[in-house]
Amino acid sequence: MSKNLKEKIAFWIFRILSLGVLLILFWILEFIFVRGWHMLSWDFLTKMPEDGMTKGGIYPAIIGTLYLVAGSMIVAFPLGVMAGIYIHEYTLDSFFKRFIKLMTNNLAGIPSIVFGLFGMALFVNTMKFGDSIIAGSLTLGLLALPVVIRVTEEALIAIDDSFRHGSYALGATKLQTVRKVILPMAMPNIITGLILSIGRVSGETAPILFTVAAYFLPKLPTSLFDQVMALPYHLYVISTSGTKVAESRDMAYGTALVLVLFVLILNLLANALRKYLGNKVKMN
Amino acid sequence: MNKIETKNLNLYYGTFHALKGITMSVKANTVTALIGPSGCGKSTYLRLFNRMNDLIPGVKIEGDVLLDEKDIYNNKGMRIDELRKKVGMVFQKPNPFPKSIFENVAYGLRVNGMNHASFVEERVETSLKQAALWDEVKDKLKKSAFALSGGQQQRLCIARALAIEPSVLLMDEPASALDPISTAKIEDLIYELKNKYTIIIVTHNMQQAGRVSDKTAFFYLGDLIEYNDTNIIFTNPTDPKTQSYVTGRFG
Amino acid sequence: MTHLDVELKRLKDEIVEMFELVTQQMKKSQLAFIGFDREIAREVNFNEKRVNALELKIDKDCENIFALFNPVAIDLRFVLAVLKINSNLERIGDIADGISRYVIGTGNPFDKELIDITRVNEMFVMAVQMLSDVQKAFDSEDTKIARGIFQKDDLLDEINENANSVIENYIRSHEGNISQSLHIISAIRKLERTGDQVKNVAEEIIFFLEAKVLKHVSEK
Repeated sequence: MSKNLKEKIAFWIFRILSLGVLLILFWILEFIFVRGWHMLSWDFLTKMPEDGMTKGGIYPAIIGTLYLVAGSMIVAFPLGVMAGIYIHEYTLDSFFKRFIKLMTNNLAGIPSIVFGLFGMALFVNTMKFGDSIIAGSLTLGLLALPVVIRVTEEALIAIDDSFRHGSYALGATKLQTVRKVILPMAMPNIITGLILSIGRVSGETAPILFTVAAYFLPKLPTSLFDQVMALPYHLYVISTSGTKVAESRDMAYGTALVLVLFVLILNLLANALRKYLGNKVKMN
Repeated sequence: MNKIETKNLNLYYGTFHALKGITMSVKANTVTALIGPSGCGKSTYLRLFNRMNDLIPGVKIEGDVLLDEKDIYNNKGMRIDELRKKVGMVFQKPNPFPKSIFENVAYGLRVNGMNHASFVEERVETSLKQAALWDEVKDKLKKSAFALSGGQQQRLCIARALAIEPSVLLMDEPASALDPISTAKIEDLIYELKNKYTIIIVTHNMQQAGRVSDKTAFFYLGDLIEYNDTNIIFTNPTDPKTQSYVTGRFG
Repeated sequence: MTHLDVELKRLKDEIVEMFELVTQQMKKSQLAFIGFDREIAREVNFNEKRVNALELKIDKDCENIFALFNPVAIDLRFVLAVLKINSNLERIGDIADGISRYVIGTGNPFDKELIDITRVNEMFVMAVQMLSDVQKAFDSEDTKIARGIFQKDDLLDEINENANSVIENYIRSHEGNISQSLHIISAIRKLERTGDQVKNVAEEIIFFLEAKVLKHVSEK
């Protein structure tokens, strides 16, 4: 077979496979959109659920998810970025470095339900926070942590050493170099990673199962130690074990759509923020 | 008094013996060129004087390295950041920070605690003038350093190094990434800076060594083969290896 | 100014110094010879060392410029010209020294009649004039002045050509003065060669400024 023919065949195989992947993605989105679109309304987004979850809105679930996302990021972001900085900029000993990297990867591979159990054992029971926003945020934060660490590391690796050397040669310490030169350069990539991990965290069901989520709360949470409703858990419950499963089907699809849109919007935001910060870094 | 000196200096990268017993001294306000084939220790030797070799794991140093007749390695009283304020460095590839032109030059001042606004402004202007870049950038100091051409970026890096007023300037092939006209500008600059600074320059370009330096040191496989006035090295070198190298008959 | 410009200027200053030194030597040897002044003749001898030392320095400086700067185009022609002019001037210095030695070696002043009929003084005057002209040509980088030199040399050639027959006649009528006659002939030959050396300098100047080679060409 001539090489040109092989080239053509390969090209078409790649193209078809890629289109296949896109097709699957669109099919899933279409599935959700078509069934959930009609549920979207201002009421749906801002009202409490009524009548055994068959009518009304999912406002408290949205609020709950937002709280949990914010909470988990408050936990994961500073910890993860600083850990990433320490690993990349400060550890010279390669054995220690490899050890930490191995542990981080392992952490990333732990199933999310195990995180949930751990969170329940540590935060809910031992530390006596009970089912609460704080327990849920801490658990989700731990889940997101390895991702943030890895994202930070990758961002730092991408920055050429010549910038570091230039800074050291002027008498700057490592800390000054990281703060004034390296971190600003790495920020766009770190924040992008952060936003993507938000997308992941907002959809996690297992970790919040035992640590914070409630099926129905008549009132919105007022303190860190309150329980909340959350979108993924809400979706799970009204699809499987709620009081009126069949009648809640529409609500379920609506919830699914909201969740998907949430993640989609976050991804777009990540992109835009990345572009904006990228330009800003160059100017100053 | 010698400005810079090494006595029987040996350097090892792990087990590799990179610099073998180098004894050499440099007087103030001179330009010294380090020449020799690739990988023969020139850049390693250069990096001794601002201790940038410290960044490489597994480096071992034996012998004395002196600045103003004080040891810079085995000296409890010598802080590395103090050393680097006295000994500046310009790298092969221009490496301005992703900041404005002004902030690039001001960086060295800021990290060393010199933040007073008018002082910084004045120093930035002086340094850019010394680097023969002021006229080209004075109206766009807030613009990104990346908007400058390669030759301008390198002069910016020189201004940045000069801003903290070192007494020694180390230059590691500063013009090798630049076009001929920018190279000529940098060479003229070095010739002028000699009045205020002591300069050591590593170069692969022998004609450059001829044009800018007062003394030249020829390194080969970690040994210092010959160190003499530049015009002697290029008209009548003592060692046959030196002659082979400068006439281009090496290898 | 670049480093190279600084060095080229220094070289130019040095060769101008050489011009002036050698012109002085020639003038003094004229005074010593025509006025029979042994003091001045000894001065010329003494200064010959300075001329030689300066020649060596200029040679070394040219060598350094070639080695360190690899000059090209007009800079290259300049340094090459200076190298050769240096050599020409040094020979003229030698000539002045040689003529002065005759003064020291001779017992009596030269016979005035001999000096007049051989027109040796005219040769001195013309030689000094040519030197002065060619220095001007070099300093102001003027090829027109340089070209004027060739014509002036004709006078020296003419006097030299006539010298043999003039001296022959003189010796027939002044038998005792053979030694002086021989000295005068030598001086005349030397002065003719001076003219040739100055012509060479003029050729080098034209080469430097116009990249034209005028050597060994019959019409000038």
